[in-house]
Amino acid sequence: MSGVLEVVGLRRTYGTVTALDDLSFEVPAGRVVGFLGPNGAGKTTTMRAIFGLTDLDAGEVRWNGASVGQKERRRFGYMPEERGLYPGMLVGEQLEYLGRLHGLTAADAKAATNTWLERLDIADRRGSKVETLSHGNQQRVQLTAALVHQPELLVLDEPLSGLDPTGIDAIGQVLVDQAAAGCCVLLSSHQLDQVEDLCEQVRIIDQGRMVVSGTVDELETSGARRLVVRVEGDRAADWAQQLPGVSVSELSAGAVRLVLDSSVNSDDVLRAAMQAGRVTEFSFERRRLSEVFREALT
Amino acid sequence: MGSKQGSWPANLEGSLGEVGMVAGREIRERVRGRIFRIGTLIMLIAVAAAIIIPTIHSGSSGPTAQTVGIVGGLSPEAEALIDAAGAANEDTVKLVDEPSLAAAKTDLRAGAVDLAIVDSTQILLDRPASSKGSDADPGLVQSAAEYLGVVEAYHSAELTPAQASLITNSKSVAVRTLQPGSNQTVKATSIIGLVLLFFMLQQYNTWILIGVMQEKSSRVVEVLLATVRPIQLLGGKVLGIGLVALGQATIIVAFALIVGAAVGSDLLKGTGPLVLACELLWLVLGYAFYCWVYAAGGSTAERQDQVQTLALPLSIPILVGYVFSITVASSGRPDLLFKVFAYLPPTAPFCMTVLVGLHQVQWWEFTASALISVAGTAGMAIFAARIYRRAVLRTGGRVKLRELVAR
Repeated sequence: MSGVLEVVGLRRTYGTVTALDDLSFEVPAGRVVGFLGPNGAGKTTTMRAIFGLTDLDAGEVRWNGASVGQKERRRFGYMPEERGLYPGMLVGEQLEYLGRLHGLTAADAKAATNTWLERLDIADRRGSKVETLSHGNQQRVQLTAALVHQPELLVLDEPLSGLDPTGIDAIGQVLVDQAAAGCCVLLSSHQLDQVEDLCEQVRIIDQGRMVVSGTVDELETSGARRLVVRVEGDRAADWAQQLPGVSVSELSAGAVRLVLDSSVNSDDVLRAAMQAGRVTEFSFERRRLSEVFREALT
Repeated sequence: MGSKQGSWPANLEGSLGEVGMVAGREIRERVRGRIFRIGTLIMLIAVAAAIIIPTIHSGSSGPTAQTVGIVGGLSPEAEALIDAAGAANEDTVKLVDEPSLAAAKTDLRAGAVDLAIVDSTQILLDRPASSKGSDADPGLVQSAAEYLGVVEAYHSAELTPAQASLITNSKSVAVRTLQPGSNQTVKATSIIGLVLLFFMLQQYNTWILIGVMQEKSSRVVEVLLATVRPIQLLGGKVLGIGLVALGQATIIVAFALIVGAAVGSDLLKGTGPLVLACELLWLVLGYAFYCWVYAAGGSTAERQDQVQTLALPLSIPILVGYVFSITVASSGRPDLLFKVFAYLPPTAPFCMTVLVGLHQVQWWEFTASALISVAGTAGMAIFAARIYRRAVLRTGGRVKLRELVAR
């Protein structure tokens, strides 16, 4: 199972609003790619465009170099932001039905449904109506609906929202395993800590345009240096506010996180900290994904 | 009804691909639903009541056995006439010889005979035929009395047996009228059929409306349309609900025919079955036309509580056709406007059925109306699929038709 998703020059306007503005990116096989952006950036529109659910003014979606049609989409799995299941239908029947729509035989759909329900620890709810399940279990059923036909591409719009830490771990592990098996995984989320843990690459868009693209590793090690300094008894970090070329990124629990311009000498920062009190921590750190995100949008 | 291989929804899925799968799901979900089962039961009870109650009310409950005691013998001509009187009144007549008038009276009181003919000149009953508790068929008594009087007159006129036979076997001349008469039986069949047609069209199309709205409001439509084309999803839904509707209607019509035959109802005599068959055909054509209208309407809604708001305007053409047709079926006099309505797809299911019942339409006119309906349905399907595709994924408020058609 392998393939590459290419989004090429997507453009979509709604009246005077431009939702997608010549947006292009790629999702390689065997990778979990985070698709990030502020609300209204165009993430959902892009995901819908991959499944032909949005009319495009220009651009196309390709799978392994060829334009995507219904035949290809049957091998994709989709979890929309607005969860979509028949509330009154039984969980097992619903998943088998969706599996069959994706081309599975009745027997295969049944077997795959059982396997995934076991895997996601909701096998005992096979005969329950979806509307009777908790939010977390509905989320698991929704993910199963995207996975039941063993897709080559998984597109998940906010798959982790509303989940407790256990649910996040369970679903996250499934996504990592799918990528390891060769599946392309594209997921959007506002929970950047989870994206940082799960994704190897990210694409950040704003106002329908690509603003940052790369591996999490590259993005976190690039850009201005981050320095975490803890001065005993100092919780305001006034000493750092005065330093030229230095900005305070975060202040929490007595530690200040500083962003240094390339011209700043870290020895000068250390001296200033020592003048303020006894320094108990002084370390360089990688850029966080949340910082990458914020800096990309400023 | 299950999802096992070999069941008819499963066969449908095998032969029609995605459309068949969508249709199969609709069939399973509808047939499994309590609304369908209770609705079918209520309709069957209503149909049975409509057929049985008139027969009880008219006192005619089909062919009855009448035993006629004969005192003093009966001539062959008179015997033939009594048989003919029995046939005319749908009675099975059995003649039994009574040894004496006293024996005949005893048998009448005991109920062993229903009436007695004494010396071919008198009819003896236990009590008046029209009174409550009488076993004698009043129609048979009346006919037998008249026929025996005629035979007596032949004898008085000293006609030969050949002459009497010639007169007895004479055929009536044809009777023609300038104005069509009001056929109460066909009218009743027609009206019962119209009521069923109205309720079925309303019910099945409302299923379509609610089904589309449910899929949109639950957002499952987004998952489905990521896999199947809008026309496949819509086509499967229309086909599945349509087959359930046709199955239910066929059960009701078959049930009506069986009950009608069992109780000897006049409703299913003459052109009654033709009117019913016509109504079944127009149910299919009417559903085929309206299902697209309701599907497109459902796709413009945002929430399920908008069902009533949407259903009312959509059902106005059905209501117009229904009320107009009931009025004309009762009066028996269709005017030009009604005949025009019989060719318009929205009202043809009702109006054309009435014209058939009234014998006011030629076969080619009926065919022309059906073809216009099929063509109208094709046009409506194309238009509705376009609306559906544009509206069903749009959220954030009711979608206006003008916006959907404009772009």
